[in-house]
This record gives sequence, C-alpha cells and structure tokens, in this order.
Amino acid sequence: MDFDVIIIGCGPAGLQAAIHAARKKVKVAVLGHLEASGLNRADVENYFGIDQMSGKELLFKGAEQARRFGAEIFEQDVMKAERKDDAFEVITDHDLEFRSRALILAPGISRKKLNVPGEKEFLGKGVSYCASCDCNFFRQKTVAVIGDESTAASSALLLTEYASVVYWISKNLNVAPQLMAKVKASKADIISPASVARITGDEVVKGLELNDGRRLAVDGVFIELGAKGAADLALDLNVLPDPSGIIEVNKDMETSVPGVFACGDVTGMPWQLARAVGQGCIAGTNAAKLVRKEAD
Amino acid sequence: MEELKSGAKGADWPHEPVALTDASFEAFVAKYSMVVIDCWAPWCGPCRMVAPVVDALAKEMAGKVAFGKLNTDENPSTPGKFNISAIPTLLVFKGGKLADRIIGAMPKEQLAAKIKKHL
Repeated sequence: MDFDVIIIGCGPAGLQAAIHAARKKVKVAVLGHLEASGLNRADVENYFGIDQMSGKELLFKGAEQARRFGAEIFEQDVMKAERKDDAFEVITDHDLEFRSRALILAPGISRKKLNVPGEKEFLGKGVSYCASCDCNFFRQKTVAVIGDESTAASSALLLTEYASVVYWISKNLNVAPQLMAKVKASKADIISPASVARITGDEVVKGLELNDGRRLAVDGVFIELGAKGAADLALDLNVLPDPSGIIEVNKDMETSVPGVFACGDVTGMPWQLARAVGQGCIAGTNAAKLVRKEAD
Repeated sequence: MEELKSGAKGADWPHEPVALTDASFEAFVAKYSMVVIDCWAPWCGPCRMVAPVVDALAKEMAGKVAFGKLNTDENPSTPGKFNISAIPTLLVFKGGKLADRIIGAMPKEQLAAKIKKHL
C-alpha cells in the first residue's frame, strides 16, 4: 500500500503527527497499537486545559480525530522498516507491505524488563534481551523466550534456527494470525497461558520456574516484551540511537537520515504528554511539507 | 581528562580500539597493564549503539587503558573461553587477568565510571 507519510507509533506523538500531516492533505498511515501507548495507562492532569481525564479516553479521542482528518490507522506491529531507493518500505506482522516517501518514528520507550528473581543476576550468563544479537551463542542448546507479542514470536522463530529446543512462554498470546501461523509451523514449543516466577541457575542459567509450579531446564532465557523496539526500528533505517536508545533530532524533528523524522518519548526526556504532542505537530507538519516539497 | 593524559606511557598505547582476533587476543591483553575488549557482532544493534562510546573512551583513556574489539562471529573461540552469551560484552583485564565484564550498551559516563574504578 502506498502512502505519503508512514507514522510508526500510535501514542500522542504519532497521532498528533498524523493530524497535522493529514490536514495538509497528504496520505497518512499510522502503524501500532493504541493500547500499547503509555498514555493508555495514565491519568492526565497536567495537560493544557484538562484538569482530569483518563489517558485512554484522550488517546481514543485523538485517534478518532486523526481518522476524521483522513489518516488511516492500522493496529499492526512493524516487523521490518527499510529504505528502498527514494521510498521507505515497512512490513507488518499481518504480512502487509506499506510504502511512503517520509517516515515518522514515534514508537515511545518500551519496557523491556520482566522483573523476576534471577533476571538481573543472570544477565549475560544466559539471560538476554536481544535474540538477534545472542542467538549464535545458543546453538544446539535449550532456550526459553518470554513475552506475549510480536517480538517474542519473531524471536522464538529466529531461535528455532539455532537452538535445539525453543520454549515460548506467554501469559496471553497477542500475536497477529499470520505471524502466529509461522510459529506454530516451527519447532517452537508454545507454553501458554503461563508466566515465569523465577530464573534459576548457579554460575549460569539452568532453568525456569513457572508460577504454576512447573520447572523447565533451559540454558538461555530471552526476554522479548512488546513490539519491536524503537532502537531496532531506527537501526533498520540507519538512524543510530545513543546507547540509551534515544534518537537525536533537530528542531524540525528530523533525524540524521533524510526523510526520517522522530518525535515523542523516543527523542528523550521529559516523558510528558505536552512534549509528545508538540513534537508530533512539528514532525507531522514537516513530513507533509517534505512530501509536498513546500518551502519553509 | 588531564589526569588520564598525564598517565600516558608513550605512543605505543592505541588511541582507538584495535581489531583483534582469536589469534591476537592473548598477546594484546598481556601487552598493557589495563585492557578493555569490546566483544561485538555486526547484526547486534546495541553493539552498534555503544561503538561510538567505546571509540571516544579509547581516545580519552589512551595511555591508561588499551581498547580492543573482537568480532564474536568471526572469532568464536575467545567468547567461548570467557563464557560470553550476550553482546555487547566488554571484558576488563587488569595485569592480564579478567577483572570485570560489562554487559549491554550504556551511556558514556556510565561506562567510563565502570572502567575507571579499575584504574
């Protein structure tokens, strides 16, 4: 599907970017899940003109507003984003392909920690947060992937090419049917619903204890929560984040790569609604200008 | 910074990370009083994110710390020897002996502090 502007991220920054871009009469696609936005779980009480409102209510109003201005929202996770000649190509977990001339990164900052005993202690001793980085160290070994969404599914798939046994442990499977079908066709063993109580071992990881009392002997534990992270998306596009995952932008919300903009929490602190919305306005306006080749 | 510069022992200390292999690793670790090896791989995003930080620290700490880089994909023997199972891992050697391992990408100040405590 061809668009003028693709926005990755369905939070206040991405939606405000969509509103401003769509009002400039360019064709806008927004990719991401509304419920994944931090605003969905927040109470708003310090935003201009609003004394008290649930973040969820404001978020869904914003999504409706973006749709009214013509933006199309696809509640799908991005699996791959790359530059192809003069355009950007984005592939989602529904196996859909999107193309655009400008791209806005507004994926927020994702939570990566599981917060169970053993997680911190065994980091680098069997615990990993990056299957694509560390899969090579687990050839012919037994590993577990923990997570409910697309990153866990794609990591489990990847690890089946390296490890001899792959368990995928999920509280609540929340993956697009197209991606789920690929995992089911692989050798990964899906354990769901189940959750991890602790990671065990001595010098290195030896196993997992689940909350229902089951125990699994594993050599590696891959913690892969949520959707593909901002840093990975940026790197796909040759935008180099800092070691904290923060993407540097200029006053026009442009990244170091022409045609790629970023806005919201992914550009740094303070992680506030007002900042996200303000940056979304600038990114959306400038992405639309770029596409329409308007002068400043 | 000045303190680090004043400790330089001469031009022999590298001012940027030296690309190492399984074959050259041991001699490099033995050559300097303090060595930090960045174990990385090309497809590892966090490795790419921390690389500029390692480059900058190699320059700033030249004369006190010698930095090396080891591609774990092309050189599997050394990661196996040190039980590395996550990258980036920075191995810190003092007097030829492993003193610390620093796992994951982190901001420059944080990484510098973790290295400087071994000086």
